[in-house]
Amino acid sequence: MTTTATPPTTTTPVKPAARRGAGLTRSVLSYALAVLLAFVVSGIVIAALGHSPVEAFRAILTTSFKSSFGFIETVQKWVPLVLLTLAFTIPLAAGKYNIGGEGQLLVGATAAAAVGITMKDAPMVVLLPLVLLVGVLAGGVYAWIAAWLMDRFGVNEILSTVLLNFVSFGIVDYVASEVWSDPAAGHPTTVPIGDGGLLPLVGTPPMHTGVLLALLVSAATVVVMRRTVPGYELRAVGTNPRAAQVHGVRIGRVAVGSLVVGGALAGFAGAIEVAGVHGKLIEGMQSNYLLLGIIIGLIARGNALAVPFVAFGIAVLEVGASAMQRTADVPSEMVLIVEALTLLFLLFSDVVGARLRRSSR
Amino acid sequence: MNEAVSFLQLVVTAMVPFILAAQGTMLAGRAGVFNVAQEGVMMLGASVGFLVSLKMGGNPVGLVFAALVGAAFGWFLGWVTTRFRLDQFVIGLALFFAATGIASLLYKVVIGVTLKPPLIETLPDIEIPLLSSIPGVGTVLFTQDAMVYFAFLVSGLLYWMLYRTNLGLKLRSVGENPKAADSLGVSVARTRIWCSTAGGALMALAGAYLPMTYTGTYTEGIVAGRGWLAIALAFFGGWRPQYILAGSAFFAGMEVLALRVQVGGVDIPHQFISMLPYAATLLVMMFALRWASVPAFLGRNYDRESRH
Repeated sequence: MTTTATPPTTTTPVKPAARRGAGLTRSVLSYALAVLLAFVVSGIVIAALGHSPVEAFRAILTTSFKSSFGFIETVQKWVPLVLLTLAFTIPLAAGKYNIGGEGQLLVGATAAAAVGITMKDAPMVVLLPLVLLVGVLAGGVYAWIAAWLMDRFGVNEILSTVLLNFVSFGIVDYVASEVWSDPAAGHPTTVPIGDGGLLPLVGTPPMHTGVLLALLVSAATVVVMRRTVPGYELRAVGTNPRAAQVHGVRIGRVAVGSLVVGGALAGFAGAIEVAGVHGKLIEGMQSNYLLLGIIIGLIARGNALAVPFVAFGIAVLEVGASAMQRTADVPSEMVLIVEALTLLFLLFSDVVGARLRRSSR
Repeated sequence: MNEAVSFLQLVVTAMVPFILAAQGTMLAGRAGVFNVAQEGVMMLGASVGFLVSLKMGGNPVGLVFAALVGAAFGWFLGWVTTRFRLDQFVIGLALFFAATGIASLLYKVVIGVTLKPPLIETLPDIEIPLLSSIPGVGTVLFTQDAMVYFAFLVSGLLYWMLYRTNLGLKLRSVGENPKAADSLGVSVARTRIWCSTAGGALMALAGAYLPMTYTGTYTEGIVAGRGWLAIALAFFGGWRPQYILAGSAFFAGMEVLALRVQVGGVDIPHQFISMLPYAATLLVMMFALRWASVPAFLGRNYDRESRH
């Protein structure tokens, strides 16, 4: 008896690539409507709390574009978001839910920091690729544990990936406060990694080059998903596992592979955070990227091409959230509610859209 | 002896959130609704339960409000997945975010940022006359707070309802074979919505119990994965109330053990001990699933017009 989720029947988050043109207008319209409604409802809540919705939304939406620092911050926040989203949507295309991006990111970051610290005198040509590669591998292996439990023992992948998140918290805490602890930090933090392991910075104000790597990865994902055999098999398994199996796709292997690739991307995000942003491993560095990755993936309906754009929108909201708390005195959690409402309204717009089409026919 | 008794007493207390959340998961699941919003609903239950107890007088009121809010979330999940047949996991995850956000938002709006958080009174122990004077067992089982008795009572009632009443038979049939149930005149949608609603209420109660026993206040990390562990427990208990009750002792035991070892100064880094409940759950799941029977229509929406 397997307990893995059966693929959704009526409203799949993964849309077939067909139906462009009219379909595109309709989906842009439903996105715009969902975002608008989410802002209206949250605006009412903010007003009911006795704050000014206009001021709050101005802070949320403009902080990223008012200064180049704000913009760089947004772009750098976009990197882990887009990678964690892909870590969720790639297995989702095969009908598997990876809720373990957080753990995979942390294990990737831990491995990257471990290499960066133990080999800190190595030159950049050696150390930087090694730091990133080890992060990718560690994330992949960590996700493989869950994939193996699913494939071999039928353990629900939602559960195993989530539980491994909690295991990873212990790993990070141990490494950051016992193994390479920096006692001066006052919070579980490791000593810095070697300079050769840091991602080079470009431009003013400086932006780490992990941004370019993430762009590359998202472009590659689109190509692989749409133009290659593995991508095709992945979508085939997600859409109709039985048909895929009949046609010779090894569905178990595809599902396991999708989870491992997802984990590898999350591990990559962890390595980039270490090599580009912090320069060390810090407890709690995963922020709420897991939740955001899932929200972005669901809002983008698993569409690899839409993911980077939705991720950027969410990055803008997230950077704006703390500004909103400072200037308009609205708790930053309000942004999470805006995001959840956007998703819910988007899902409802499917239902409404289907009704309208049926009645107009 | 005393050491063992006090350990077991703590385990029984720690069982309560697991029992309530897992029975709620089971109840919705037996009708075919797979709720994955536990973690968020428990946080919301903890937040609402704490705030209402603090501001509106007393833990009982807090528990009632928490249950109502949880019921609303459960109802929403049941309603949109039956009425509109939206994907259960997607809606469940969306509700998880929404509940998580609202939980912390409510706390910040009502309490704000303070150095010293306000505290509520924890639930008092109620000694059951006569039974509580049995040595050992009396302390472990019958000198506990009201929610402990409630959790055991709920488990018993669920067992009775599911396996000894006509209602329970209909309920189970909806989760196993909705088409057959539908053809016999059982309303699939109504059954699912009710089960999901009641399940949500139980989950929120599980969350509300946490500030009322352990911390006396709400913190963001208060649920600490218990919601996800509750799903594991539902699988572990084979989606049957009696085994869930028994299985919760294992989950609670791990939790208390992890705390005890940390305090007791055993020579293992405490970070590894804190992994114990989660790692142990994963290990157990590997073997538990061999005998677990999962409702056949779990997580799937019923469409009267489709062929299967």
